[in-house]
Amino acid sequence: MSKFKKSFHIRGRDFIRAGEASINVQNLLKSMDFDSRLIRRVAICGYESEMNVVMHGGDGSLSLEVDTDKLILEISDDGPGIEDIDLAMQTGYSTANDDHREMGFGAGMGLPNMKKNSDQIRIESNKDQGTVVRMIFFLPGGEIRQ
Amino acid sequence: MSKKKSSTCFVRFDEALCTGCGSCMRVCPTTAIRIKKKKSIRIVDQCVGCGECIRVCPESAVSAATEDLGVFEKDHVAIALVSPVLYAQFPGVMPKDVLLGLRQMGFQHTIDMSYFLEIFQYATEEFIKRNRKSPKAPWPLISPVCPVVVRLIAFRFPNLLPNVLPVLRPVALMAREVKSRLTPEYSEKGKDVVLYYINPCPTKRDPTCLSSRQRPLSNEIALGINDIYPELIKHVEQIEAADAIPFYHTRFEYETCATGNASMWAMSGGEIADMDIDRSLAVSGMEETISYLEKIELGLFQDIEYIEFRTCREGCLGGVLNAIDKYLAKSAVQKMIKRFGLGRRLHRDNILRMYAKGEFRSEKKPAKLTSLFGAQKEALSIDSMHKIEKVMEVIKGTDCTACGAPDCRTFAEDVVRGNAALKECLFIAARTSKKG
Repeated sequence: MSKFKKSFHIRGRDFIRAGEASINVQNLLKSMDFDSRLIRRVAICGYESEMNVVMHGGDGSLSLEVDTDKLILEISDDGPGIEDIDLAMQTGYSTANDDHREMGFGAGMGLPNMKKNSDQIRIESNKDQGTVVRMIFFLPGGEIRQ
Repeated sequence: MSKKKSSTCFVRFDEALCTGCGSCMRVCPTTAIRIKKKKSIRIVDQCVGCGECIRVCPESAVSAATEDLGVFEKDHVAIALVSPVLYAQFPGVMPKDVLLGLRQMGFQHTIDMSYFLEIFQYATEEFIKRNRKSPKAPWPLISPVCPVVVRLIAFRFPNLLPNVLPVLRPVALMAREVKSRLTPEYSEKGKDVVLYYINPCPTKRDPTCLSSRQRPLSNEIALGINDIYPELIKHVEQIEAADAIPFYHTRFEYETCATGNASMWAMSGGEIADMDIDRSLAVSGMEETISYLEKIELGLFQDIEYIEFRTCREGCLGGVLNAIDKYLAKSAVQKMIKRFGLGRRLHRDNILRMYAKGEFRSEKKPAKLTSLFGAQKEALSIDSMHKIEKVMEVIKGTDCTACGAPDCRTFAEDVVRGNAALKECLFIAARTSKKG
């Protein structure tokens, strides 16, 4: 058994509980004593993607996979999907509505921030077919106990 | 395996009174408590001294590890270092009369904290002003005033240690002043000096001691407000009834004077209300504090400059060692603010000159704080994570706590770490006995 995987449910439109899945991921990583800067990067990516699901998506899940050489964070939802992924990756581009902006979200920083904090990011999405975001964080080696 | 005992350096435990009900176990923010053989035991290094177990124990089996008033003898010079929360315990009484009461009890000096609270406020404002432009400053800064918050961060949120404001806590400034001005005078005359910290919570026994691993000094004693209250109220009532109040000679301003500004510190928000900071927040209560710290770790609240955290609800006047109810105390504080108004006595320029010399800088670097607390638990491997998940699947529990752990996840971890046996779970025991 080399990989450990655990996933957490994300409820769309639930702004009160938004962030819980990321906090769970963070606590898991803390108990395994990863480098605190790495945990912070994963947590930021987790939270940004979780908020995207909460704001735009329907229901979704956040899963963490711990492997000996990398961490994989995968977020999937059954929401409206992204029409133009290249456009969505641009800083400042946002499809958030006024309600989201009132709560302080929707600055168009989410995906760029995820790209900045992860080593690899892959987005699979089509209009009305949900979205899967997969982010990889490489471990320089030696962090993990078998 | 971590050391387990019934008492820690912050709380004292009376095993004879414990019924093993588990109330304390369920509220412990660091899951340091287990019930074994119907008695509660504590993982000593995990205790952060919040006092929640004292608050909830229905049998009063848990108490603060403060000293008894019995140790208060007259063979030494006794100096009282008074938390402003003490004044809130006497609605309608002037702070100076409370201090007078302490002097009648036998304290040669009573040191009021308001002077040092002001120094702290000026130093904090200056630190934030100077660091505002630096993108390297870890926003939001977190108030170092509540020692439980600092320990909680070191234990559960070590990523946030750099966010703790590196300015000496008011109580540390107060202790430093007394030790450098008053103590040497008496030492020259060959007299012993003992400092008595009069506190609303079990945690502030020694202002410089943040970790349970540091030994407290023998000439510094912590008293709970509720330890001295019965004796003190007698003196205060006499003073209130007297026509002529006896005159006591005092040499320092901070021996007698309290301000509205200082009394406000007892309430949640009292630290930041009068501070010259653009964006600040005050959060109180254990659950709320943890929830905010979790969010700060996720990268939220970076637009806030300073957050005042108090793990007790309503702030320090909600501390477990207070004598009167927190809402009555709050009302007393509000009356005091109305009477005295807000405003500082010290001059900013004087404080800033001292600031420039680095006199208020806390030398406790994040790395040092981490080392004081150390690694409380051995890191879990991928293999152990799998085992924990497996145990969770076998238990299919409801967090019933009957096993003596606060929740199923903690129990599963205990099992995998070899600190508990699977059969201690009632669900599993019931299923095996059915099969058998």
